[in-house]
Amino acid sequence: MTDDTPRFIGDQGRVGDAVGAEQQRDSGHDGYPAPGRTDHRRPSLAAEDGSPTYYDQPAIKEPVWIWSVPAYFYTGGVVAGAALIGAVAQLVDRDGYDGVVRRCRLLAAAGTALGTAFLVHDLGRPTRFLNMLRVFRPTSAMSMGSWTLAASSGTAAAAATLPSLGAPRLADAAGLAAGVLAPPLGTYTAVLVSDTAVPVWQSTRRAMPALFGASALSSATDALDLLDLDEHEERLTRRIGIVAKTGELAAAVTVERAAEDVHERVARPLREGLSGGLWRAAKLATATSLVLSLLPVPKRLRSLRRILSALAGTVGALATRFAVFHAGTASARDPRATFEPQRERSGGAGSVAARRVGAGTETQTGSV
Amino acid sequence: MTAKGFLTDTTVCIGCKACEVACKQWNQLPDDGFVFTGTSYDNTGDLGASTWRHVAFIERPGKHPTDGFADLSWFEGDEAPGAKPAFGPDPTGDFSWLMMSDVCKHCVHAGCLDVCPTGSIIRTEFESVYVQPDICNGCGMCVAACPFGVIDRREDDGRAWKCTLCYDRLKGGMEPACAKACPTDSIVFGDVDELRQIAEQRVATLHERGVEEAYLYGESAESQPGTGGLNAFFLLVDDPEYYNLPPDPVDPTVTVGDSWRAAAATGLAMVAAVVGVFVSIGKAGR
Repeated sequence: MTDDTPRFIGDQGRVGDAVGAEQQRDSGHDGYPAPGRTDHRRPSLAAEDGSPTYYDQPAIKEPVWIWSVPAYFYTGGVVAGAALIGAVAQLVDRDGYDGVVRRCRLLAAAGTALGTAFLVHDLGRPTRFLNMLRVFRPTSAMSMGSWTLAASSGTAAAAATLPSLGAPRLADAAGLAAGVLAPPLGTYTAVLVSDTAVPVWQSTRRAMPALFGASALSSATDALDLLDLDEHEERLTRRIGIVAKTGELAAAVTVERAAEDVHERVARPLREGLSGGLWRAAKLATATSLVLSLLPVPKRLRSLRRILSALAGTVGALATRFAVFHAGTASARDPRATFEPQRERSGGAGSVAARRVGAGTETQTGSV
Repeated sequence: MTAKGFLTDTTVCIGCKACEVACKQWNQLPDDGFVFTGTSYDNTGDLGASTWRHVAFIERPGKHPTDGFADLSWFEGDEAPGAKPAFGPDPTGDFSWLMMSDVCKHCVHAGCLDVCPTGSIIRTEFESVYVQPDICNGCGMCVAACPFGVIDRREDDGRAWKCTLCYDRLKGGMEPACAKACPTDSIVFGDVDELRQIAEQRVATLHERGVEEAYLYGESAESQPGTGGLNAFFLLVDDPEYYNLPPDPVDPTVTVGDSWRAAAATGLAMVAAVVGVFVSIGKAGR
C-alpha cells in the first residue's frame, strides 16, 4: 500500500479514528455516486455471456421443510373446507343437514389433529412446538397461522365431541367459530410460502391464495365424497366441488402467468423437473375430477362417479400442494431465478423497494 | 445504543480466511464437512448454520482493479530493478481474484426476524440480529425468508444458527472475532454511521485512483430499500451477483401484504361459493 492509502481503523474497534473523514469526503468526491442514487448497477469487469452468478451456487437457502409441510397444506385445506361447509350447513338447516354437519366436524377435528402432528414432525426441535404460541407476530405468516390452527383445533375438537357430551348448543357455537376460522386457515398457508425469499413463491404471492383456497374447498368435498353420503348430500358436495375445481384450475393458470410475468426463470420449476411433473399431474387430475363430476350418468352409477371423481380430485389436490412445495425448492436452488428478476427491476422507478421508501412506511407493499 | 456493524472492504481482502477460522474458534462452531468444491480456493462454499464468515474467491480474466497499487520496490530490492515478485499481482495480467469475506448482513429490516414465529430472533441493543438458541424450535421459516441465504438449520441440532455479531464479545466491550483477526482490515467493525463515512471516503479514494468500479453495497436504505440498508455492508468492485449477493434483496415482509389481501379476497370468495351452493339447493328437506 502506498502512503496515502487511508488506514481505516486499528485494533479494539477504534472506529472513531477516521481522521479527516469529513474533509476527504468533501474534496475528491468526483465520480462518486451521491447517496440516494437509485441505480446501483455497475459496469461488470468480467463481461461474460450469460448472467453472472457465483460458480452457479444457489443464492438463497433451500427451504428445510420436509414432506409433512405440503401434507399439512393438504390436511389444513380439508379442515378449512369442511369447517366452512359444516358451519354454513348448520346455519341453513341444522337438522336437515345433520349428516353433513357431523361429517364435516369429524373431518375438521381429525384434520386439525393430524395437521398439527405433521407440523410438529417438521420442526427441528419438536418438543418446543408450544413456542409457536409464545408471541403474536403479525409480520410472520407462520405466527398468524399457528394461532389460527390452534384456535381451529380447539373449536373443531369441541364441535365434534361436545354433542356426545350433552352440550349440542355449545357444539354449534364451536362449529360456527371453526367456520369463521376456516377461510384464514385455508389460505394462510399460501401467504406463508409467499412470506419467503423463494423466487417462485414470492412472485406468485397474489395468485397463490386463490389456488390454496379453491384447493381447500375441493379437497374437502372430495373427502366428504369418499364418506357415505345420501342423494341430497351428494348433490351438495358435487356442486361445491364443481365450483371449487373450476376455481382451482383457473387459479393454477393464474399462478403460472404470475410467475412468467416476473421472469421466465422464475416460472421454470412449474414446467420442468419433479415440480413441473407434479404441477401437470395436478392439473390433469383436477380436470379429470371436474369432468367426471359433470358427466351425466344413470342414477345407479352416481356413487361410482362420485367416488372416482373424489379420488381424482384428491390426487389433484395433493399433487398441487406437493408441486408448489417442490417448485419452491427448485427455485431456491437456481441463483438466476433470484438474481435476474432483481437485476431487471433494480433501481427501476417501480421497484418494490423504491416504493417502500417513497411511502416511508415499513409495511407499505408494492409490486415487483 | 448506536448500531454496530461491519464494513467489509473487498479491495484489501487477501483471502487468508483468518476470519473464518477466528469465527469458528470463538463461537465453537462444528465443522461443516471437508468439501472440495473444485471451483476455486473457496472450499467453504457458502454461509450456513456452522459457517458465519465465508471467503468467496471470484476468479476472473484480466487484472485486479487495484493491481499496481502496491509499492513492491522494497521487495524487489536495489539489485534487481524491475524484477517481478514471485507472488503478488499476476505478472501476466491474465486473470485475478476478487475476494470477499461474506457474513450475515444484520439487515435494518431483517426478513428472518420479521417471520420468526417464536420470537427467538431478536434485535439486540447493538441493532444486530440475534437468534436465541434456547427459544428456537427449528421451524425453518427464517431459512426460507432470508434474501441472502445466510441463516440455516443445523441438521444434527435442529435449530437455526447464524452470525451473532459476536454478541458475547460485544457485551464484553470487544470487537467480533473476525474483525479482530483480519490482518488487512478488510473487515472493519464499528458504529455503522462511522463505517459509512469511512467507506465513502475509501470509495472516493479508489475512484481518484482510477478504480471506477468501486461502490458500496447495502450501506443505506436509499441504495437498498428492500432491507432498509445493511448493518454489515460491503465495498465491491463488480456486480453483486459475482459475489453471490442479490442485486435488489427484499425482506419478504415488504411484499407479503399483497398475499394477505389476496387471501382475504379468497376467503370471501370461499364463503360466497359455499353459501351460493347451499342457496341453490335450499333446505335439506328431510
